[in-house]
Amino acid sequence: MSLAVAPPPVVPQPSRRLPSALRGVLGIPPTVLASFVIIVIVFGWALLPGLFTAHSPVLADPTARFEPPSAQHWFGTDYLGRDEFARVVYGAASSMGTALVAVGIGLFAGGVIGLLAGFFGSWTDSVLGRLVDTLLAIPAFLLAVVVVSALGFETINAAIATGVSSVAIFARLMRAEVMKVRHNVFVESSYLQGGSRRYVLFRHVLPNAYRSVLALAVLQVGNAIIVIAALAFLGYGSPPPASDWGLLVSDGQTYQIAPWLVYCPAIVIVLTVLSINRISRWLRKTN
Amino acid sequence: MSDVTLLAAEALPERAAGNWTRGRPYLAYALQRLGQAIIVIVLAYVLSFLLISVLPGNPIATTLENPQSGLSPAQVKQVESYYGVTKPVLVQLWLALSRFVRGQLGVSLVSHQRVTSLLAGALPYTAKLAGLALLIALILSAAIAYGAQYLPARWARGLLRSVPSLFLSVPNFIIGLLLIRAFSFQLHTFDVLSPDSPVATAFAALALAIPICAPLAEVLIANLDHESAQEYVLVARSRGLGKARLFARHLVKPSALPAVTIAALIVGELMGGALITEEVFGRNGIGSVMYTAVSNQDTPVLQAIVALAAVVFVVVNLLADLIAPLLDPRVRLAGRSRREVATA
Repeated sequence: MSLAVAPPPVVPQPSRRLPSALRGVLGIPPTVLASFVIIVIVFGWALLPGLFTAHSPVLADPTARFEPPSAQHWFGTDYLGRDEFARVVYGAASSMGTALVAVGIGLFAGGVIGLLAGFFGSWTDSVLGRLVDTLLAIPAFLLAVVVVSALGFETINAAIATGVSSVAIFARLMRAEVMKVRHNVFVESSYLQGGSRRYVLFRHVLPNAYRSVLALAVLQVGNAIIVIAALAFLGYGSPPPASDWGLLVSDGQTYQIAPWLVYCPAIVIVLTVLSINRISRWLRKTN
Repeated sequence: MSDVTLLAAEALPERAAGNWTRGRPYLAYALQRLGQAIIVIVLAYVLSFLLISVLPGNPIATTLENPQSGLSPAQVKQVESYYGVTKPVLVQLWLALSRFVRGQLGVSLVSHQRVTSLLAGALPYTAKLAGLALLIALILSAAIAYGAQYLPARWARGLLRSVPSLFLSVPNFIIGLLLIRAFSFQLHTFDVLSPDSPVATAFAALALAIPICAPLAEVLIANLDHESAQEYVLVARSRGLGKARLFARHLVKPSALPAVTIAALIVGELMGGALITEEVFGRNGIGSVMYTAVSNQDTPVLQAIVALAAVVFVVVNLLADLIAPLLDPRVRLAGRSRREVATA
């Protein structure tokens, strides 16, 4: 009995000390650190895929079809004998790049709308407010489908579509942040000291609003990866020689005998989005 | 999917009573919200029209010029004059808009069916799926929030607290595929070939509900934390009230109130998610109508789907905004006392 009771005070000590040591050194919780590592690896895949895999993403090997994951083929091989890991690694550039494009579009357009609405107020705010309400009223995924079907089925168009569907949320947040700052005493005093509207906007309002907008932007990268993957899954991205992660999942689901073709890209998507969300949450907390 | 959480977190204080600020006549507020709602619905239709018509390629003309469309020259003339294809875009917009206001959504370019009957046929399937998913999401999020607050083991509570962010990170088509693999292919709980059977519907709804419940659970957890720290909880505990009774009698109502507004915002996510889930599970519904319309460039159908989604979203949010102030006793009391002061 006493043996069973004794360990608890001892066991938590080392396990608690290690993270706190890490925290002390870097000021970052370990899960956030792990998230950063994952994101750096995925960006590495996107920028220099050749460093991470010796296999080709397009070269078929008819003798090695549907091989399960092994030391040679980490994620197994697909119906043409292509190395699935290489396809995931080479797909990263498209999946991550388009997500960044999408967020860039949303951030810029939404940021400008929100800034104008919050800064000028009155009728500018009412007009832009209704526009944002309208964008918000159309489900983001449906809006993305409509835009991509009008532009044509390509991954970059899927990114533009995803960006358009996230304009409203950026506009809302930016407006709220600007309104928060606008009525501060230091803004008033800046006006009194002869600061022009533009000066106040760029010197005081924007720097104060950017932090939480940045946290949203990071969060939206994760969201954009999900939406773009869903569009690619439905076949609204670039056609097959491309290896977007969503496309890989949709390719893989055709073959019941090779479940790893679904699991591996799916796990990569989930881990990437999870890491991005964790980082965003940390950014918001340290805000 | 994560948008809603952040939106909710940012806007909670003002949205708690459905945007209604104290001291304003409720009727004026209701009328203003109604007016805004109507404007937004009309704007949504205009926006979808412009997106589809202004962007390169005129789908209606392309369909009409296609010799395989199976239309006689007389029919082509009829469709052309109906949509005003040869006229400028603004005239076309005016034509479409004036019909939309009267509830006419046009005719499908492919199946030549009325768009309204096309959508009416598909809507019940989607509504069933989305309704069931919402129910599951509500139950799931309540269970997560309760567990995160009251589970005896600290690690279990911590684990439950990280569940919403995990759910937010998994695309719902992946959840759907995993469910199909596990329960249809391996355990044979349901047959993917009959997607409208009750069991298959339940699994589809579960796949849809999991990402949806994450923001709800997050808001509920945050509210429960906030309410549990209030003094009245301490008083109730000191008077000997058990945790479960305390939860049921005192904590559920104030914590769930802001969730009403969040639940309304989630409707958009629910509709978007339903479109994907229907495809993954091979179900009939608005989703399958949409995919056919997209691949055939059937613009009237696409526009009608956008309009339908906007109407549902706006109406649900309008209701939530109108009901929320009535549910909140603080707001109710404030309104009454103000009125008493006014009459005195």
